[in-house]
Amino acid sequence: MSAAHETKAMMTPIGRAAKWIGLFLGVIISGLGLILGFWQGVPAQQVIFLTAATFALVIWVWNSYLNRWLVELSINDDGKDKDPVSSRAALREFALRNLGLLISLGLLITAFFILAAAIDSFLSLVNIIVGLILVLLLIVAVKASQFFVDNRSAFIGLTVLVALFIVASMKIDGFLSLTNIKSMLVFASFLGLACLGQTLVALMGGLDLSIPFIIGSANVGLLYLIGLGVPPWLAVIIVLLLGVVIGIINGFLSFRLQGSALILTLGVGFAVSGITQILTSIGTEYAGNVFGTVPNWLKNLASMNGNTFGLDVPPVIFIWVIVAAVLIYGLKNSVYGRNLYALGGNRTSADRLSISERRYWIGAYAISGGVAALTGELLLGWSGGGFIGVGQPYLFMTLAAVVMGGTSLLGGYGGYGFTVIGVLVLQVLTSFLVGIGLRFEWQQFIFGLLIVPMVALYARSPHIRTQI
Amino acid sequence: MSFNTFLLVPILLLFVLLVVAVLRSPSLISASGIGSAIIVVAPLILATYALMSVAIAGRATVDLSVGPLIGFINVTLIQLHGADLVSSPIAVFLYAIAVGVAYQLLMGLIIIFVRVQPIIVALSGFLALSGINLVIMSRPGGTAPDWMMPWGAGTTIDSPILVILILATAGWLLFSNTAFYGHLRLMGSDERAAYTSGVRIYIVRLGAHVISGIFSALAALTFTALIGSGDPTQGTTYTLIAVTALVLGGTSLAGGRGGVTGSLLGAINLFLIGYVLATFSFGSVQGFVTDLAYGIILVISLLLTVGLPKIQRFIRAVSPYMLFMVLTLIFFSITLHKKYDYDRLVTKPEVDQSLLSELLPPPVVLSGTEIAETVADNSENLNSVETVPENTTASISPDNRNIDTTVVVITDSATFNKGEASPELSMMQLEPDAPAASSQPTVADTTTEISVVTNTGLSISSFIFEPLDSDASTQRSESQLVRPITFAIIILLSFVLVLRAVVAQTGKHKMTPLIFVIISTAVLLGGYFLVEASSLPKLGSDMYKGGSEK
Repeated sequence: MSAAHETKAMMTPIGRAAKWIGLFLGVIISGLGLILGFWQGVPAQQVIFLTAATFALVIWVWNSYLNRWLVELSINDDGKDKDPVSSRAALREFALRNLGLLISLGLLITAFFILAAAIDSFLSLVNIIVGLILVLLLIVAVKASQFFVDNRSAFIGLTVLVALFIVASMKIDGFLSLTNIKSMLVFASFLGLACLGQTLVALMGGLDLSIPFIIGSANVGLLYLIGLGVPPWLAVIIVLLLGVVIGIINGFLSFRLQGSALILTLGVGFAVSGITQILTSIGTEYAGNVFGTVPNWLKNLASMNGNTFGLDVPPVIFIWVIVAAVLIYGLKNSVYGRNLYALGGNRTSADRLSISERRYWIGAYAISGGVAALTGELLLGWSGGGFIGVGQPYLFMTLAAVVMGGTSLLGGYGGYGFTVIGVLVLQVLTSFLVGIGLRFEWQQFIFGLLIVPMVALYARSPHIRTQI
Repeated sequence: MSFNTFLLVPILLLFVLLVVAVLRSPSLISASGIGSAIIVVAPLILATYALMSVAIAGRATVDLSVGPLIGFINVTLIQLHGADLVSSPIAVFLYAIAVGVAYQLLMGLIIIFVRVQPIIVALSGFLALSGINLVIMSRPGGTAPDWMMPWGAGTTIDSPILVILILATAGWLLFSNTAFYGHLRLMGSDERAAYTSGVRIYIVRLGAHVISGIFSALAALTFTALIGSGDPTQGTTYTLIAVTALVLGGTSLAGGRGGVTGSLLGAINLFLIGYVLATFSFGSVQGFVTDLAYGIILVISLLLTVGLPKIQRFIRAVSPYMLFMVLTLIFFSITLHKKYDYDRLVTKPEVDQSLLSELLPPPVVLSGTEIAETVADNSENLNSVETVPENTTASISPDNRNIDTTVVVITDSATFNKGEASPELSMMQLEPDAPAASSQPTVADTTTEISVVTNTGLSISSFIFEPLDSDASTQRSESQLVRPITFAIIILLSFVLVLRAVVAQTGKHKMTPLIFVIISTAVLLGGYFLVEASSLPKLGSDMYKGGSEK
C-alpha cells in the first residue's frame, strides 16, 4: 500500500522528468534526421520541413504514451499484489494474452522463410532489416494500440504508414522523390474523394456501391456535354447536379431498404451507367466512346504536371486536403456531423432527439453522389479522355479504404480522418508493390490478405456472450 | 408476412419474361434452346445457392468472393488437368468440392474466431482470390477434361449439368427438412436468441459455410463445362450477378429468410432478362441496355418487396404456388399458340397433279455450281445468300401462279438418287410469311428441304417440303383432332390441380403445394411434348415440319 502512495506522490515529478526526456529524444532524433538529410543532399526546405515534422511527431507520440502510462500506473497500483505464480503458468498466461500477436508473428516469419526459399537473392541484408522493422512495428502497433480506446485504428494505420514509408524508401530508389510523392498524392486524392461519400454513408450504416458507376458516367457525360458545345463550367455544374440527383434517388429508394442498400445502389449504378452510355451513344457509331477536347483548366486541375497559383502541385491535391479538413472538422463539431454519428449509433435515441433519419440518410447519399460525380470529372481532367470503366477499380477499393481506415460498416463509429489514413495506406502500399516490381494481380492479392488482419486489430465485434 | 409471399415478385417476373422470350424467340422452347439455357444458367444458379446458404446464416453475410472462388477452382482445375494430375471425374469432383469447402471453412472460422464482419472477410477474399487467379493463369486458356467437353454442348435437355442442378436443388430441399436448417434460420433471424436457446451457433455457421462451399464447387464445375477451358476473370463477374439474383429471389441479406425456390427463380430471371434483351437488336449499345435493364428490374423488384407488406391484406389469399400454376398454364397456352403452325389447319386447295404437270415445263436439273451461279446472278435482289452444298442438285421451274418467280428446288442428292423424291417436287405450299427454318437444314426421311429463290421476294428461305400423297388429307384431319383434345386435357388437368392446391392451401391437407407444382409442370410439359414433337431430340429442328406425324 505504501508503494502506491509513494508512486502517486512521485507522479508529478516523474511526469515532469519524462517530459524533459521526451524533448531530449525529439531533439536527438530530429537532429539525426537533419544531419542525414543534408548529408544525402536533399533540398534544404524539405530537410527543414521533415525535421520539424519528425520533432512534432516524436513529442506527440511520447507525450500521449506517457499520459496513458501514468494513468495506467495510477489505476493499477490500487490493485492488490498478485499471487506469486509459477513460471510455466505465467508463460501460458502470456501466450494466451498475446495469442493473435504470436500467431501473426509466426505467419510473418513463415512467409519470410518461404519467400527466402522460393526466390533467389531474397535473403539480402536489406530484406532482413526490412523484415525486422516489420516485425518490430507489428509488435509496437499491437501492444501500443491497447492503450488507445478511441483512435486505435488511426494509430495502427499511421504505424503501418510509417513502416511502409521506411521499408519502401529502403527498398526503392526514388521512392521519396518529389515526383513519386506527388503522383501518390494525386492518386490518393482521387481515391480519397471517391471514398468520401462511402464514409458518410457507412457512418449511417449504409453502403453505396453506385460510386464507381457514377464516376464513370460523370467522366463520359462531362466530355459528351462539352462535345455538344455546352460551356465547360456549365457542363461541370450540370454533371455535379446530376450526381447529386442520382445520390438523392439512391437515398430515397434505399431508405426503406437499408438492409439491401448494397444491392439497391448497385442496381441504380447499373442503370445510371447504362443510361449514360445509351444517351452518349445515340447518333454515333462509336458506342461507348466519346470524343471531345478537355478544357485546359480542367486538365490543369488534375493532371500530374498541373500547378496551383504557380506552385508545382496539381490543385486536386489541395482540393482533397481542403475537403478532408472541412469534413474532419465538420463531422466532429457541426450539428450535422454529430447528428450523423447519433443516427449511426442508435436510430431510436436519435429519433427521440427528433433527428430526421430520412433527411440525413438521403443527405448522405446525395453528398456521396455529388462527390462521386466530382471525382469522375477530375478523372477526366487527369486522363483527357472519357471512359465509362474508369470507376471500376473504385468499386471495392472505396470499401477497402474505408474499412482499413477503421470506419465501422455498421455505422456510428469512424470518420473521414480514418478514411484518409486508409487511403494513404492503400496508395503507399500500391506504390511500394509497384516499385518492387509486382504486377497488378499480386497487389490485389496482397491487399486482400492485408484487410482481415488490419481490421482484426481494431474492429473485432464482441463475443455473442457479451451481447445478451 | 409469410416467407412465401416474397416469391410472388420473382414468379410474376419469371412469367412475364418467359412470355416475352417465347414471343420474341420461339426457339427457346426447344430441346437445344432449353438445353443451352440450362448450361448457361447453371453456374449462376449454383452460385446463387452458394450465396443463399450463407446469407441465411445472418450477420449480413454477402459472400462477395463467390465469383473469384469459382474462377479459382476453374483455373486450378484446368492447370492441374494440364499437368495430368487431376483428370478422372471422381478426382475432379473431389478436388473441386474439397477446395470450395476448405475455402468456405476458412472464411467461417475467421468470421467466428477473429470476429470480423463477414462482408469484410468476403471483400478480402474477393481481392485475394481475384488476384491469385490471374497469377495462376494470366490469360484464358487450357482445356477441360475430355469427358467434360460434351457437357457444354447444350443440344439436349438431359445433360449431366441438369442432373447436377436437380441434385443440388433436391439436396437443399431435403436439408431444409432437418433440424439443422431450423437452427440455421433461427440463427440468421436472431443470433442471440439462438445462442440463448442452446443452438450451437459455431457449428451451425460452419455448416452453412460448408454447404456454400459445396455449391460453389458445383458452380465452378458447371462453369468449367460451360466454357470448356480456364478463365481467370470470367468467374469474377458472377459475384455481382449472383448477388442480384439472390435479392431478386427474395432472400433477405439480413439473414433468416431465403430458399432454393427463390434463388432458382432469381437466377433464371436474370438469365431471361439477358436473353430477352438479346432478341432485340440494339446494335452497339446492346451491353448498355442490358446494364440498364438489370439495374431497373433489380430496383423495381426490391421496391416491390418493400411494398408487399402494405398490400398484404389484398394478396393474403394468393398462394405463390397457385400463382405459379396459373401462370404456367397461361404460359404454355401462349407457347402452344406461338409454336403451333395454324396454317396447317387451313385446308389447302387440292391441286390436280396431271393438270399441273401439263402446265409446268419439264424441270431443269442443275448441279451445285450452277445453283451457286444462279444465286450469284440474282444476288443484287437478295438479302442473304446461303451457301449451297456441292453435292446437291436442283430443278428450276417457273411457277404457274406467279410467272416471274423462279423456284429453285434443291433436293438432297442422296434422296434424289434413291428415287424417294422426284425432281417434280415443285408443288410446294408457298406460304407468304412462313418463318425461316433453322440455318442448317436437315433432310428428314419423308420430307425434303428446299430453298426458294425469288426474283421479287428478295429472299432465300428454306422450307420443308410436304409431299402431297393420297392420304395426306386424312392425316391432317387426325392432327386437327389431336390438338384440341390435348389442349382440353391439359386445361382440365391444370384446373383440377389448381383446385387441389387451393384446398391444400386451406391447411386441411398436409401435402406441400410444391408437389402440385411439380406434378402440374410435369403434366403440362408432357402434354406439350406430346403435341409439339414426335421425339425429343428433334424438337428444335422439326418445328415447322408438317407432315412428319404418322
